[in-house]
Amino acid sequence: MPLDRRTFLRLAATAPLAPAALLAATQPHLLQMNGYPQNAETPLELLTDYITPTSLFFVRSHWIPHTPDLKSWKLTVDDTTFTLAELKKMPPAEATCVLQCAGNGRALHNPIVPGVQWRYGAVGNARWRGVRVRDVLQRAGGIKAEAKHLHLFGSDDPPGKVPPFHRSIELEKALDDCILAWEMNGEPLPAAHGVPLRLIVPGWAGDHWMKWIVRLSPQAQPQTGFYMDTAYRYEGKPLTEIFVKSNITTAPSRAKAGKPEKIAGFAFSGAPDIAKVEVSDDDGATWSAADLDSRHAPHAWRLWSYWWTPRARGTARLFARATDSRGIAQPREAVWNPSGYVYNGWHSVDVEVT
Amino acid sequence: MKLAIFLALPLLGTTFKQLPPGKEKAVVEASCYACHAADIVVQQRLTEKQWTATVEKMIRWGAEVKDADKAAMIAYLAKHFGPENRFTPIKTQQLRR
Repeated sequence: MPLDRRTFLRLAATAPLAPAALLAATQPHLLQMNGYPQNAETPLELLTDYITPTSLFFVRSHWIPHTPDLKSWKLTVDDTTFTLAELKKMPPAEATCVLQCAGNGRALHNPIVPGVQWRYGAVGNARWRGVRVRDVLQRAGGIKAEAKHLHLFGSDDPPGKVPPFHRSIELEKALDDCILAWEMNGEPLPAAHGVPLRLIVPGWAGDHWMKWIVRLSPQAQPQTGFYMDTAYRYEGKPLTEIFVKSNITTAPSRAKAGKPEKIAGFAFSGAPDIAKVEVSDDDGATWSAADLDSRHAPHAWRLWSYWWTPRARGTARLFARATDSRGIAQPREAVWNPSGYVYNGWHSVDVEVT
Repeated sequence: MKLAIFLALPLLGTTFKQLPPGKEKAVVEASCYACHAADIVVQQRLTEKQWTATVEKMIRWGAEVKDADKAAMIAYLAKHFGPENRFTPIKTQQLRR
């Protein structure tokens, strides 16, 4: 539903609230990509924790959601309904895994493509708790043999003639490891992250992680509509797994030749784990292995660090690249695509060495 | 002091970018602001051809743009938010409700 005049005037009146010049770059903050609907990414230099704090976690919304009335909220699965309390009585499931927006890095694609110009921070690693999709479907009476796709419906309505965000996911994936989560990092899901229930799809792009879920329906055919047939497609097929990727979050802007400096970052993939992260300071001619942090869960990210000793004065360009547990290495150049999805080219930082 | 600075951060969605001056500014505001803030407009770096496709997509999705205003609107968007455009996001806190 479009903003009414009163809401618009209220938003407009608050516009000059905080001059950006007053804000120190190191203070915890998000980078607003759109005020309404809410879209914001995390500054890359703040993505240094294994668990991304909820207050710093990126937000992606297609439009202004209608936050459900939690007292009357129900999940409908064909002819069965569940209250949140009923879902919470079922065996709990928990996963720590990466959520990355399909368009993270869109601004880095060349040629330039329209859409939210995400750079590095539409990604985070969180602990999600809820109930397995397979347990809910079984409790709702089981799954018919012909069902191959799980149709998903949220409570958010688009404005105007904008097509609804109706989606489906292959039932095989949903039954394998997907969770209907009501908790994020030990707290109830915030409104911006889909209160009271969102889908967790380990290893897959964020378009599958539907927020504000109210209805599920196993069907023989996939969902149709703009957000299935036109958007969120890659090389003619629905985008599913995220691509292997590493980013550098920590590096000095200046260093002295011969004095070691700590370089650090994170790496993740659609594969369950990262096998290695390497750093190069000679344009990819030679690579050195970084240390991988021991903390991990399937489809969670790996933090990594590397002690780099600058060899010569001048501008040094450091590259990082990850290789996942399937042996797929991050490419130097991401594959350009018309919607700017899943950018994963090598990330670099420049360091002035004196 | 740090806390004071942090508290000065706007909540996500309570402040947003403004469009540059021009007689089409009011037209863009009237056509686009019903569904989204200017942030998503001012971060784009599109050619006139891409802006034309974007405006036409928005019209199909319900944006009200008079035929008489369409060409000037596209020219305004292409002039200010072409491939050389640079965008600095507002620093913000996540909106909590």
